[in-house]
Amino acid sequence: MIPACTHIIDDDEAIRDALQWLFKTRGVACRAWPGGEAFVDAWQPGWRGCIVLDIRMAGMSGLECFDTLLARGCTLPVIFITGHGDVPMAVSALKKGAFHFIEKPFNDHDLVDLVEKALAADAEHQRAAASRETIEARLAPLTSREREVMNLILEGKYNKVIADELSISMRTVEAHRSRIFDKMEVRSAVELAQQLTILRD
Amino acid sequence: MSPLPPSTTLPPPGARNRWVQRLPFLSLALFLGAIAALVWLTREYDADEQRTTLLNDVLWMEQNLRFQLDRNEIHLQQLGAELFAGTSLSPQTEASLAHLLNPERGLVQILWLAPDGRLAGALPPRPAEAAGGNRAPTPATFELARSVGRPVYGPAYPATGNAHHFEVHVPLWSDESLLGVVVGVYSLSDLVVRELPWWFSERYRVAVLDADGREIAAKSKVAPLSPRLAYSMSFDPPGHGLTLQITAYKSETRWIPLLLGASIVLLGGIIVWSVVQLRRQLSRRQQAETALRTESAFRKAMEDSMRTGMRARDLDGRLTYVNSAFCRMTGFAAEELIGLKPPMPYWDPERLEQTFEVHREIMAGESTAEGTEVRLRRKNGEALDVLVFEAPLIDAHGRHAGWMGSVLDITEQKRAREQARQQEERLQQSSRLITMGEMASTLAHELNQPLAAITSYNSGCINRLQGDELDPAELLDIHQRIARQARRAGEIIRRVHDFVRRAEPRREVLDLNAVIRDAVGLIEADARKRRVSILADLAPALPPVAVDAVMIEQIVVNLVRNAIDSMRDTPASRRRVEIATAGDDRFVTVTVADRGSGIADEISARLFEPFFTTKPEGMGMGLNICRSIAELHHGRLGFAARPDGGTLFTLSLPVDLDSA
Repeated sequence: MIPACTHIIDDDEAIRDALQWLFKTRGVACRAWPGGEAFVDAWQPGWRGCIVLDIRMAGMSGLECFDTLLARGCTLPVIFITGHGDVPMAVSALKKGAFHFIEKPFNDHDLVDLVEKALAADAEHQRAAASRETIEARLAPLTSREREVMNLILEGKYNKVIADELSISMRTVEAHRSRIFDKMEVRSAVELAQQLTILRD
Repeated sequence: MSPLPPSTTLPPPGARNRWVQRLPFLSLALFLGAIAALVWLTREYDADEQRTTLLNDVLWMEQNLRFQLDRNEIHLQQLGAELFAGTSLSPQTEASLAHLLNPERGLVQILWLAPDGRLAGALPPRPAEAAGGNRAPTPATFELARSVGRPVYGPAYPATGNAHHFEVHVPLWSDESLLGVVVGVYSLSDLVVRELPWWFSERYRVAVLDADGREIAAKSKVAPLSPRLAYSMSFDPPGHGLTLQITAYKSETRWIPLLLGASIVLLGGIIVWSVVQLRRQLSRRQQAETALRTESAFRKAMEDSMRTGMRARDLDGRLTYVNSAFCRMTGFAAEELIGLKPPMPYWDPERLEQTFEVHREIMAGESTAEGTEVRLRRKNGEALDVLVFEAPLIDAHGRHAGWMGSVLDITEQKRAREQARQQEERLQQSSRLITMGEMASTLAHELNQPLAAITSYNSGCINRLQGDELDPAELLDIHQRIARQARRAGEIIRRVHDFVRRAEPRREVLDLNAVIRDAVGLIEADARKRRVSILADLAPALPPVAVDAVMIEQIVVNLVRNAIDSMRDTPASRRRVEIATAGDDRFVTVTVADRGSGIADEISARLFEPFFTTKPEGMGMGLNICRSIAELHHGRLGFAARPDGGTLFTLSLPVDLDSA
């Protein structure tokens, strides 16, 4: 697995350098990019970590870069660095799903704290995504009849009722039930419901 | 010139008028008819009269003839007794015979016959018959006379020449026995010609026609006769189908009735002609009247619909005419204005003197073709800006009778112009602001970058120092980077300064008073609107100064505007900005004094601070810029409170010694 990394995207070399130094002194792994284009070109879906993105840049602006990444399915949390005049832009970016924005001149500790939060959030997101994948993998081998039965179980219906509704015998319902529980690696209907709730989120 | 009466309405040429027009013709026709009838009646009456006279005359003539014949019969009878008494004729008888044979009696011959019809004698003797026999000329008549015993007339017969004769046979009796018959031979023409008196034959032609209608004797041969006035009657005696025809000569023209008639006809003709002429003239007049009415209505409509105010004044400046546009403009009714002399009620009471001056110029004929701009006041107190064009008014006799002015309302245009100007100013101001904002923003961003980098480096250093991980080489490297960023920031600031330095004043040696006048001109409209008067007391001969005119103008405008703003609460009568210039050999000073609220102490200390302002819409750059400009010119800008209220700003500029 690729280690998490903070990506600094800024066209000003001094800023990149200073931030890298700052993050280094706080033990945060980071990588600097001279502009949005370079990052977008290099980005891979498996990358973890967060992005510190300057709004006002020569070439591709921070917002354009953000939009492009969203369009490509990048879920990395993005912290915008913005000057005074860019606040409304930053806010609108926030509404689109940016993680946070920080106004220049900023307190360096606040920035590092935000980065750490973003990294944690990404990690959490990663975990959730992983479990979702597991559950989806378990759901995959279920037959259509088993899915039918499972939905009825989730509605909280008794075996007898399920049997009546599907016009099958109680024994068959019970057989389905145990097979579903096996495949989903759960022991009770409550656990099953929990798993499916994760999926729905 | 007098105004037209409000409604000059002439009665329309209606039915009544048409009647009136026809009446003369009708009465004329009646009159002519009556005259014609009168003339005809007179003529008829005249003709009747003539006919009656004719009849009378004819009857008289007939009677006269009859008397003559009767008288002759009696004479013949008396003579007969003497003729038949003896054989020879006594001289007395012969004389009687001769007398009887007078042509006036019509008798041409007297015969006397024996009872048996033999011719006993004749006078004058009959040559032919005397030889032929003694027979009576017409035996039948003789027989008849003998048998009836009374005188009998015989038929007419042709005699020698063209004459016709007839005879009367008068039997003579003596005691039942016939003595004889005396025959008188009449010549018809003699009888007719001689017997009738001269006046009769002058008036009438008398002719005798025989039974076949042939004319056998006539009084005259003259033919043209009036056939209308003729009368025929039987000629009896002698009878036998003889007819007397009396025809009146064409009577002499009766001049007086003729002249009378002719003159009446002539006069009638003249009347008809004159009536026709009158009518023609009337219709011409009516046409002219209609044309005039149309013209007048057109002019009235034109005058009422005109947007330009018109007013006429006589040579004394008294208003003699105003049009409706002028009344609309000023809000006064025409009756309120006409006859007034200046000052007019629509003059702006605050500018009476100026308006009087304009009035005097116009009256002196010094008005220009571009017109004169005047501020007036409507009746409701609203201000009214007008452009007046004046032209001399020449009356119908070619005399200069006064002045005609057209007045254009330019209030709206002026307001629009003023608004456009303000709009433009605001636009410029906001565009300056935007530019400045843009510059400040760029500058802030530019400066932010190195500063942010510096803080980040610094934070990292602090982290290192707190973490006890001191690596002097690493820290040295970082501090060198910090220093680089600090230099970068300094560089940015230097660039800004360089940029500002580029706006050096463009100095020229100028007349400062002219610059101030220009500045006052720029702000005057604004001041007037806010009821502030600007009083410029400019020293006549200022030493020369080398300044950037636009910049100095900006200072003056700024100071005056501040002065006006500060007098918002000052009573209108005291709202006055006084501008004065003065100069000595070192400095030229411009002072701008107001009667405003003054400047509080705590404010005066910060007055020239950038972004400090006491006005809600102010930017706080005005005085700051003014001071910068003053300093660019090596001059000073200062202020002081005035002892009796208000503030006095002083701009002093050094005299340009090089050009002095």
